[in-house]
Amino acid sequence: MLDGNLMADTPHLLLVDDERSIREPLAQYLTKQGFRVTQVGDAEAARTRLGAYAIDLVVLDIMMPGEDGLSLCRYIRATSETPVILLTARTEETDRIVGLEMGADDYMVKPFSPRELAARIKVVLRRLQAGGTRQHAPDATAYAFAGWILKTGERTLVDHEGVAVPLSTGEFNLLHALVTRPRQVLTRDQLLDLTQGREAAAFDRAIDNQVSRLRKKIEADVKNPQLIKTVWGGGYTLAAEVTRL
Amino acid sequence: MKALFPRNLSGQLALLLALALFAAQAINLALLLRERANFRLAQTTRPAAIRIADALDHAGNRPIRGERSRVRRHEANPIPLGFERMPKVGAELREQLSELGISPRQIDTGIRLRERSPRRHDHRFAGRTSDTLMIAVQLPNGTWLTTNAPWPRRDNRILWALLAQTIIIYVLILLPVLWITRRLSRPLRGLADAARTFTPRKEIPALAVEGPTDVRDVIVAFNGLAQRVTAMLDEKDRMLGAIGHDLRTPLAALRVRIESVEDEQDRARMAETIAEMSRTLDDILSLARLGRPSERITEVDLTALVDAVVEDFRDLGAEVVFEEAERIRLHLRPTLFRRAVRNLIENALKYAGHAEVTIVAEPTQIRVCVADRGPGIPEEALTAVFDPFTRLEVSRSRETGGIGLGLALAQAIVHDAGGTITLSNRSGGGLMAIIALPTSEAPARG
Repeated sequence: MLDGNLMADTPHLLLVDDERSIREPLAQYLTKQGFRVTQVGDAEAARTRLGAYAIDLVVLDIMMPGEDGLSLCRYIRATSETPVILLTARTEETDRIVGLEMGADDYMVKPFSPRELAARIKVVLRRLQAGGTRQHAPDATAYAFAGWILKTGERTLVDHEGVAVPLSTGEFNLLHALVTRPRQVLTRDQLLDLTQGREAAAFDRAIDNQVSRLRKKIEADVKNPQLIKTVWGGGYTLAAEVTRL
Repeated sequence: MKALFPRNLSGQLALLLALALFAAQAINLALLLRERANFRLAQTTRPAAIRIADALDHAGNRPIRGERSRVRRHEANPIPLGFERMPKVGAELREQLSELGISPRQIDTGIRLRERSPRRHDHRFAGRTSDTLMIAVQLPNGTWLTTNAPWPRRDNRILWALLAQTIIIYVLILLPVLWITRRLSRPLRGLADAARTFTPRKEIPALAVEGPTDVRDVIVAFNGLAQRVTAMLDEKDRMLGAIGHDLRTPLAALRVRIESVEDEQDRARMAETIAEMSRTLDDILSLARLGRPSERITEVDLTALVDAVVEDFRDLGAEVVFEEAERIRLHLRPTLFRRAVRNLIENALKYAGHAEVTIVAEPTQIRVCVADRGPGIPEEALTAVFDPFTRLEVSRSRETGGIGLGLALAQAIVHDAGGTITLSNRSGGGLMAIIALPTSEAPARG
């Protein structure tokens, strides 16, 4: 038996997936990685467990018979602060958008590496412990700032003439981090943390590099940036009003 | 001649009607003219025969004193040689005379043309122009009896009247025919357009049912067909989605389970195989769904799009060079087009380990070029590689992965955007893939 202290230190995950062939080995793996895992096969069971235990994070499959994962995600978001990582069988962008709009903290496309899932769970939990910077509010489909519109679904910027300017994954993640926190100073470490957790793609290149690429796209004068401002002492901030659309 | 033949329904009907009417009126005219000719013959010969018989009865062998329009006696044939002969009249007259018991030795006829300035008109033929038919009958005793009869000229007015009549009938018939054909052909044309532009998407409204019942039936049948095709494609999408899900689930289970494989290298290889299967699955699903893209066409900065794709590769540490270019605005489906560019670059990376990407903007077309210095492709296989599931045995071993869907997918996407995609071997080695897009605004398909 585990004693109470150890229980409190071990993050308690609720794994919701109707596929036993995925759920069981995944629970095994995550347990090995030092998590306490409660696994259930449907949304109904998940609701009762959520009420009964102090769950730290929910790993949730979107496609389930009966009540699906998105609806459960909406319920969790409405009733608690518990972070959610979605598992989706589809690569379609719409799933991702809908998932993030529902307030999921991250999502993974099947088949995923359990290692990476474990790493992302840790990132989300660490963010939570650090406090404040968690991707909490449901994501919007678009953000408007300084004549630009950032569309989260297509990972695309749209200029004032309506022309789409596609962004690379890195650029999008950085800009997304900035527009969801306007007028906040974000250090390079914070930015790295915020941008890494969201995509599978390795993101090794320096934040500075991405910032200069972004500035080239959105600043009127790259030498004298007015939107993404460098803060003395290390960090960047978005100096613009942002409207959620 | 062929060029003059109308191709559409109303034109053909109008032409056919015109020809039929013309033929009918021509037959009418021929009949009418024959009737008139017979009438004229009878009108001319009968009184002449009676007059001659009367003259013979009354006068016996007395010389007949000449009065105008009456019978005169001559010693020789008085009809000048230059006059036009009417043998038909002669034959008819001989028949009639023989009925009256007279068998002349010879009958001669001739037309005396009327003078240009008519001084007098026969009241019976008032208003008509007529010449005079001279009839000379040689009696068995050798003397000639002559008599004159009016010989009406051929009347051209009847031709004109007939022509006018034809035109009036034609116009009167043509108007309702055109109305009917218009009523027929308008919905038919709509049907043809609908069939031509038919792209099975849910939001396509059913064609309005109009026109005569025959056409209505066709339109209703077409609407039903369109609905069935759309339903079938929906079914296909659902099925593919289900297949995708059902295959991905065991793959995902496998992916989770291999974490327990001790050997690091083994596990990495298994993970790679699973990832490859998953990618192939994605490609199959995308290719199958490409006929009904869900993404909307939007105006996109093509340079930024290519730049973003290249940047994603560079973030992963791939050696991809992109020459900065001007901003280029085009109408595309951005997410799909990203995929086309990505597949080309992926191909170059797979076979050459690096890629050079350039954009060339010309007045009529934009070219996105992806070049490498890899082994290239044999000339004869340059087009075959676009076929789905084609793989060049020589260069594409199992380890390099992929089943050749990448290029097929890229091509389908570029075609959807109204462009073309070509491969060529570069001088000095390597492969060059070129996406050519027309610069004209929005592509034809929306």
